[in-house]
Amino acid sequence: MKILRFAAVGVAAALTLTACGTGDDAGDTPSASNGTPEPATIKLWLNGTDTPDALREYLVTTFETENPGSKLVIEEQDWSGLVPRLQTALGSADQTPDVVEIGNTQSPTFTYAGAFADITDMYDELGGEKLLQGFVDAGSADGKFYAAPYYSGARAVFYNKDAFAAAGVEVPTTLADFTEVAKKLQSDTQSGFWFPGQDWYNGAAWIYTNGGDLAVKDGDAWKGALSSPESIKGLEEVQDLFANATNAPADSDSNEPWVPFNAGQSAMFSAPTWARWSIDLPACNKAVDPDDTSDAAKALRGEQQACNEEHTGVFPLPGLDEGSFANGFAGGSNIAVAAKSKHPELAKSLVRIIFTEEFQNMLGENGLIPGNTAYSASMGDDVYAAAAVAAALNAKLTPAAEKWADVEGDRILEDFFQKLATGADVKEAAAETDQLLEDALN
Amino acid sequence: MAATAPALQQDDAAVVFPRRRRRKLGVYGLLVPAAILMGVALGYPLVRQFVISFQEYGLRQQFGQPAEWVGLQNYTELLTDPYVWTVIGRSIAFCLVNAAVTMLVGVAFAVLMTRIGKASRITLQVALLLAWGTPVLASMTVWQWLFDSQYGVINYVLAHVFGLDDMAGHSWIIQPLSFYFVATVIVVWMSVPFVAFSVYAGLLQVPEETMEAAQLDGASSRQRFWNITIPMVRPVLSIVLLLQVIWDFKVFTQIYVLQRAGAPTRETNLLGTLIYSYASEFSMAGALATIMLVITLALTGFYIRQMLKEDEL
Repeated sequence: MKILRFAAVGVAAALTLTACGTGDDAGDTPSASNGTPEPATIKLWLNGTDTPDALREYLVTTFETENPGSKLVIEEQDWSGLVPRLQTALGSADQTPDVVEIGNTQSPTFTYAGAFADITDMYDELGGEKLLQGFVDAGSADGKFYAAPYYSGARAVFYNKDAFAAAGVEVPTTLADFTEVAKKLQSDTQSGFWFPGQDWYNGAAWIYTNGGDLAVKDGDAWKGALSSPESIKGLEEVQDLFANATNAPADSDSNEPWVPFNAGQSAMFSAPTWARWSIDLPACNKAVDPDDTSDAAKALRGEQQACNEEHTGVFPLPGLDEGSFANGFAGGSNIAVAAKSKHPELAKSLVRIIFTEEFQNMLGENGLIPGNTAYSASMGDDVYAAAAVAAALNAKLTPAAEKWADVEGDRILEDFFQKLATGADVKEAAAETDQLLEDALN
Repeated sequence: MAATAPALQQDDAAVVFPRRRRRKLGVYGLLVPAAILMGVALGYPLVRQFVISFQEYGLRQQFGQPAEWVGLQNYTELLTDPYVWTVIGRSIAFCLVNAAVTMLVGVAFAVLMTRIGKASRITLQVALLLAWGTPVLASMTVWQWLFDSQYGVINYVLAHVFGLDDMAGHSWIIQPLSFYFVATVIVVWMSVPFVAFSVYAGLLQVPEETMEAAQLDGASSRQRFWNITIPMVRPVLSIVLLLQVIWDFKVFTQIYVLQRAGAPTRETNLLGTLIYSYASEFSMAGALATIMLVITLALTGFYIRQMLKEDEL
C-alpha cells in the first residue's frame, strides 16, 4: 500500500508542479451556516451494487427538490480496495466525497482517525434508540456519533429440501442439533454444510452464540478473547464441523458458497439472504439467455426462480436453546459525512433524506435491513425476510476497535480458522491468535 | 554489448579529444529531463518515505493531526520483532532461489535458440513473448485456477490421469514450502523470457570468427561455450542477474494474489506483502521500505561495483 500511496503522491506532485498551483482557490465557498446552504454539487460514494438503482434515483431527485439549485452525484466504488481509496480521498478537501458509505467493520478505523464529521446532534433526529445499535457503536468514537447505520444484511442458512428428505432430517432447532444434522447429511460427494477454511464470517456465529467474543476491551487495552472458555466451546464445535460435516477446501473463503450448492456438492450453506438470487439448481435450470428480455424469457426465469425456491429452504441459524436464534456476524454499512467536505450542510441534508420513512422502507423492500429498526416490517413476511430479520436482530459486529482494520488487513482471523480447519489444537491456536490480536489492536 | 563499445571510444578519444568535452556537456543536458522526471516521480516519494519513517504517521495524521517525531522508534520496533527477521530471511532466500533458477532456465533457452531451426525458434520466441506480455493479474488468475484445490487442472490430471488419488482436493498453497514452490514456478515462468531474450541477443554478438578459430585450435564445443561464449556475454549475464535479484526481492503481485487465493497469510508473507499489510501505519511501512532498500543495496552493491569497474576498463 505504501508503495501505491507514494506513487499516487508522486503523480499528484507531478500534476501540481505542471499545473502550477491549482491549490485551494477552487470551490472555496463554504456553505453558509445559517441553515440555507449555498447551492453546490455534492458527491455520494456508494459501494458495489448493493444499493439498487431505484433507490439512487430517489436520492438524486429528492435531494435536488429539497435543495433547489444543488446537485447530487452518486459515484459507485468497488468494495475491494475501498479502505486505501478512502484513506487518500477523505484526506484531501479537493477530492473528498461529501457523503460516504463504509463497511461496518471498516468504520471504527475512520471514525477514530477523525475522517468523519461529528453528527452527534443528529442522533435523535435520525432514529435515536431505534437505530441498529451494533452499527451505532461501530460508528461512534470517544462518546461522539460519526457514522449512522445504513443497512444490514444478515446471514441465514439455505438448505436443499431434497437432500434433507433423502437423509431423513428436519430443520435443526438448536445449534448442537445443527451440527448433528450437518453430519448426517455429510458424504464423500456432498458436504453437510459448506464451511470453507477461511470463512470466519460464518464461524464467528459459534463464538458469539456461546457467549464468547473475538476481542474485548479491558481498561484502555484490547484483549484477545478467543481463549475464553465460551469462545473455546464454540471453536470446538467449529472444528467438529470442519472435520466431520464439510468437504469444503481449507484454502477457500466465504465467496460464492452457492456454487457447490448449485452443483449438488453441498446440502447447506450460510450467506446473506440476497443469495437467493444466485441459487440455480440443475433440475430447475431452463437455460434462458440472461440477456433475453422477451416476455417468454421472463416467464421462464420466473418459473425457474419459483422451482429453485421450492427445492430450497432457508432458516436463521438456531441458538443454544430451542426457539432462540444464533448471534451471527452482521454484514452491512454505515453512512457518514466526510470531515473535509466543503458542504457539510448539504451533506447532512442528504443523510436526513436517507433516514426518512420513505427511503428506509425502500431499503427494506429491496431485501436490505434498514438502519432504523422501526421500519424493518418493510422487509415483507416471506420466509427469506423472516429469516433475515430474526438473524439481524440477534446479530453482532466485530469489536469496535480503532485498529480493527489492521486485523482484517493482516488476515489474522482467516489464518486462525484455516488452522482449525487443518486440525490444529484449538486452545493453542486460540492463544497464539489472541496474542496476534492484541499486537494488532493495541 | 559493453565488450565491443570501449574499443570504439578509445579510437574516438585519441583523435578528437577537444570535441569530446563539449559532447559531455551536451550529454548532461540530455540527462536533465530524465533527471527531473526521476526526481519528481521517484525522488520525492523516496524522501517523503524516509521522513515519515522517523515520525508517528498513521491515519490520524492523514486526517490532519500533527505528525510527531519519534526518532528511530519505528526502526527499533521493527528490528526487534523476530517475525520481521523471519520475513527478511524468507525474502532473501526466495529471491536468491528464484533469481538462480530463472537465470539457469533463461540461459538454457537462449542457448537453445541459437541451436535450433528457424521455425522452432520463432515458435519458441512467440511463446516466450506471450508469457512475457500477458498482464500479471490475468496470468495470475490462470495460475490460480490451475492450482485450485477443487477444480484445478493440475489436481485433476494427477488424480485421474496418473492415478494419485490423494491429489484430488490437495491444497497447494496451504503449506508454506509448497506455497513458495508454486510461487517460484510462477515467478520463474514470468521472468524467463526477459533473461532468454537478453542473453540470446548477447550470444548473437559473439563473433563467428573467434569461434571458428577456437574450433580450428581443437576446442570442444563444451570448452568453446565455457571459455569463450560465457566470458564474452558476461556483462549481459551480470546485468540481467542484477535486475532479477532486485525484481525477485521486491516481488509483490504474485505473492499477494496467491495469498488471497487462500494461503495462510502470516506464514507466507514476504517483505512486499508485509509492507502492504501496514496499510494504515504509514510510518511503519516507510521504515520497513527503507530497511528493504538498504538490504537491496547490500545484496546488489557488490555487483554494481563490479559492473562499474568493468565499464571503466
